[in-house]
Amino acid sequence: MGRVIRSYDEGDEITPLVKELTQDAINMFEGSAGNTGPSQFTDEHAAKEVLGTEGTVASGRMSLTFAIEMMRRYFGADVFNHTGVVDLRFLRPVRPGDTITFTGKVTGTTREANGSRVSVAIEVKNQRGDTTGVGQGSAIVPNAFLPPEDL
Amino acid sequence: MAEVDDRVELDWDALEVGETFEKFEYLLTQEMIDTYRKGVMDPEASFPTIAHKVDVRQYNAKYTDAGSVNARCAFHCYNPPVAGKRLTVTAWIADKYLRRGKNYIVTEAVSVDEDGKLIDRVITHELKQPSEVGKKWGG
Repeated sequence: MGRVIRSYDEGDEITPLVKELTQDAINMFEGSAGNTGPSQFTDEHAAKEVLGTEGTVASGRMSLTFAIEMMRRYFGADVFNHTGVVDLRFLRPVRPGDTITFTGKVTGTTREANGSRVSVAIEVKNQRGDTTGVGQGSAIVPNAFLPPEDL
Repeated sequence: MAEVDDRVELDWDALEVGETFEKFEYLLTQEMIDTYRKGVMDPEASFPTIAHKVDVRQYNAKYTDAGSVNARCAFHCYNPPVAGKRLTVTAWIADKYLRRGKNYIVTEAVSVDEDGKLIDRVITHELKQPSEVGKKWGG
C-alpha cells in the first residue's frame, strides 16, 4: 500500500472489523505455535476443568489480534506495524459461534519528535450487544504521512 | 520413559516482581505464519508471535499453578518478524497485584530476531483463579 497523506481528528471513527469465531479458527490460532495439547481453548473437558465453563473459549489474544488488524487497516501497515500499540482488557468470554465487532474512535493526537501519536478508544461487542473487551491503541504517524497544515 | 515434571508450584506471595526467566529461542517458520493467518482470517496479519504466548512460556516452564485467564494484554509492534529467522525472547515478571480478592500476575516479554531487530513487546495480566470465569459467566 502506498503512502496515504491524511489528517486525524478527535471523534473520527475507524471502519469496524467483524469476525466470526469458529472452533477451527481457534484451533489454528492455538496450533500455530505448535501447541497441540488440550487446553481451555481447544477442549471442552479442559475448559470445564480449568474455567468451569460448558464449552471452550477463545484466547483473549485472538481479540487482541483482531484489534491490531482493525488498527493496521486504519493507519496502514507501513505505520502501524512499526509504531502501533494496542492495550485491551477482556471483560467477557468470546466463544466459538460468536460474532464480534470491533469499533474505534480517535480520542486525540499529541506531537512526537517525528510525527503525531494518534490515540484510539477501542470497543468489542458480541452479537448480543455485550461488551467483551475495551481498550485503547495508538500509532505514531510520521510527519511525511501528515498534511502540511497539521505539522 | 515418562518426563519428570520439575516445575515449582506457584507461591504467589513469594513470587518476586522483576524475576527474569531464561531466554527462549525458536525458529519462526512460514508454516507458523500461514497457520496463524488462517486462524485469525487475515492474510496480512504480521505478528504471529501473539499466538506464541512467549511472555508466559518461560513462566509456565518454571511454575505450575491452577491455570490462568488473560485479563488484559498490551502489544507493541516494532517490526514484523520474518520466516526463517530465529527469535529470542526475554520475559520477566513485571508486576503482581490483588484485586477484589483475586491474584493477578503481569508478565512482560520482548522478542528480538537473529539480526538484533526488535520485533515486539507484550505485556499480559493473568488472573490466577481461572475458575472465576465459570462462576461469573456460567456455562
